[in-house]
Amino acid sequence: MKTTKLVLSILASLSVASVAHAGKVVIKGSDTLGSKLVPQLAEAFKAANPDTKFEIAAEGSTTGFAALIDGTADIGMASRRAKPAEISAATSKGLNLKPTIVAYDGITVVVNANSPVKKLTKQQVEQIFTGDVTDWSAVGGAAGKISVYTRNTSSGTYSDWKELAMKKRDYAPSAQKLAGNEQIVAEVAKNPNGIGYVGIAYSHEAGVHAVSVDGAEPTEANVKSKVWPYSRPTFYYTNGAPAGEAGAFLNFTLSPAGQAIVKQVGFVKIN
Amino acid sequence: MSTPSSNKSTMRDALTKPQGFRFLGLDFDSAIKYFFGGNAFVAVVVLALITIFLFKEGFGFISQNRRNLQVYRQAGLEYVDIMRSRMDAHTKLGRQVNAARLNLFKDLQKQGKSLDEINAMLAPLDEFSGKFSDAAETLRGLVSDYGDAAATIKQSASEIQDRLEEKEMLIDAGKRDQAEKVVVPVIDFPSARKVILDSEPQYAELCGAMRSTLIALINTPNPGYEMIPLEVRSRFKTDTLAFLDYLDQGKSELTAWNPDKPVGYLDGLASFLTHPEWLTASFWQDWYGVIPLFVGSLFVSVIALLLAVPLGVSAAIYVNQIAGNREASYIKPAIEFIAAFPSVVLGFFGVAILGETIRAISGWHFLSWISFFPIAERLNATTAGILLGLMAVPTIFSLAEDAINNVPVHFKEASFALGASKLQTLVKIIIPAALSGIIAAVLLGFGRVIGETMVVLLCAGNRIKIPDFTEGLGAFFQPVHTMTGIIAQEMGEVPSGSIHYRALFMVAILLFLLALGINFLAQRIVRRFKISIG
Repeated sequence: MKTTKLVLSILASLSVASVAHAGKVVIKGSDTLGSKLVPQLAEAFKAANPDTKFEIAAEGSTTGFAALIDGTADIGMASRRAKPAEISAATSKGLNLKPTIVAYDGITVVVNANSPVKKLTKQQVEQIFTGDVTDWSAVGGAAGKISVYTRNTSSGTYSDWKELAMKKRDYAPSAQKLAGNEQIVAEVAKNPNGIGYVGIAYSHEAGVHAVSVDGAEPTEANVKSKVWPYSRPTFYYTNGAPAGEAGAFLNFTLSPAGQAIVKQVGFVKIN
Repeated sequence: MSTPSSNKSTMRDALTKPQGFRFLGLDFDSAIKYFFGGNAFVAVVVLALITIFLFKEGFGFISQNRRNLQVYRQAGLEYVDIMRSRMDAHTKLGRQVNAARLNLFKDLQKQGKSLDEINAMLAPLDEFSGKFSDAAETLRGLVSDYGDAAATIKQSASEIQDRLEEKEMLIDAGKRDQAEKVVVPVIDFPSARKVILDSEPQYAELCGAMRSTLIALINTPNPGYEMIPLEVRSRFKTDTLAFLDYLDQGKSELTAWNPDKPVGYLDGLASFLTHPEWLTASFWQDWYGVIPLFVGSLFVSVIALLLAVPLGVSAAIYVNQIAGNREASYIKPAIEFIAAFPSVVLGFFGVAILGETIRAISGWHFLSWISFFPIAERLNATTAGILLGLMAVPTIFSLAEDAINNVPVHFKEASFALGASKLQTLVKIIIPAALSGIIAAVLLGFGRVIGETMVVLLCAGNRIKIPDFTEGLGAFFQPVHTMTGIIAQEMGEVPSGSIHYRALFMVAILLFLLALGINFLAQRIVRRFKISIG
């Protein structure tokens, strides 16, 4: 009667899973927020509220909005604002998408640590990512083809970058799309001719160097004062004001304790 | 001798005697018959449903893309693109100067000059290059202005689409009164477009100005210009003159442009099959052209087969004809075991080790005479191709071995009887006799490779650009994107029902037809060239 036992145990585990959902906060969306900051916030939150369980999936802001609209997430992490099409999709399902700014981020241009290029102008950044300039020697480096790494199309950073740095122009067809900030750091660290962009929290890793743009350094103060040209807010999106555990987690994120973690991970505090 | 015969009769009884067992009113035999028949039927139905679903979702793309192209034309984007193509040609021309600068740069670097010194020495050339680029500045401004105007018209057209969809969604959700409140804006394309069409005389005027600037640049002596080697300079001159003709030709193209030319359904399909770009989430115009993906898939598969065919076929010949029984009993399972590797494990190996190793080797000093070494990208067509080749070896090996096995043994015996040696028999008799089967094996290996997803997604580098085949063998080390890879990468991030979503289904249909074609061809070859066993 092995089979019966197996079926029973599967049924049992399923029922446990559905019960567990009651005390669980499901967070989906942005990789920029979700691969480092939110898991750490969740850990800290769990230390005070051991009963709360978290499910975090970070596959890009677009997936966060989609999950929120489908009702499969409590909080949607986003590094961009909702598009009109997403807002109308939510309204038609009776949802009210409410953004809450949880941290500021500066998108940082990173090059290989051994690259002689330490500074670029805004125009050069645009030229590199749109493919107008394809060789490092044209922007003050040694000769070599530029390898451009970008995020994938579901990423909020991908579309933010078009607005902030590329005058909405299209990426060079030779750009390679990678799934997350950490992949970009890893590729650039291994490729002496690589260049990419990441959230400021990822720009201090070994092997990469954050370049200054138009003389401004990507520092916390510069991001906050918008001296850094590629500053942007990051959001939690919820359906109205969230209640219960999700609401408590949102409040914790905005609290001094939560914002201390924001700073520690490398983002910029909201206040 | 009575025991065996009585045994026989009980056997016959067991097989022929009607059974007492009944299930749902069926006896045992017919229950088994219906069980098998039912399963076969379910398999066919599921396959048919998948096919229908695939085509239903995919064909929606054609009308959506037709609308996409219609807006592109009606909003005047197509018109501005005539001017934009001239700007691109000018940029391309400027790259010749950049390339010349790069060569000078490398020479000076070899002489041991520092970066700052080189940049100072090349300053006149940079000035020339700047002047060349500035010559297009006013025209670029015009294109940008009218581009903005066209993009705004397109924006309002897409707003109409958004509102219509919102309305539809509300109606689907049963909120009729709310749906009626949604205001759908109306847009009058001809009058909106008029402002763009007025740019024609301005374009002609700017073309004239640009012509005189460029002619002056390439004809008057200039220290920067003269730094470019003579040979490159004369080519640059010819190309600039050709560009000026192309620029003038734009005028007649603009006049001949017809915004009301209808966009047919065939155009929707043709754009998918022939457009050389796969460009999504664009500020300007989304293009869903399958060519770069098709080329990428084909390229990776060719690399894989270059590796897998010799390995698989040779191994099959060796195991079947040359190796002893004991040896074969080791080799055969070992090769077949490769098929047991999950493709994600192979892909992971490619990302973590193989790609990195190839790049490290390409950086070795004694290989520096190879022009395209060291390679820049560790994830490229070759990394993916090698792993795919490995995956195709078991398929090709097993099928090719079957084909060789099927050669009647008396062919071999007859050959020996005529005094041929073992090797002669192998090369002249056995391989030709099995050739149709071997070709079919290669084709099915190709089918296996072109449908593989995980390895290409992880190891091919996922770059939309078609590899630059003018670089010769260097193209093998460029990243590519593939048809299977794009489906896996983008399916999760597109809203269902959108044109992007349906475009991915079109790619899936193409893959399906390709697999069908390959299998059909393989069976035809086997049947057509089968040797008669008689």
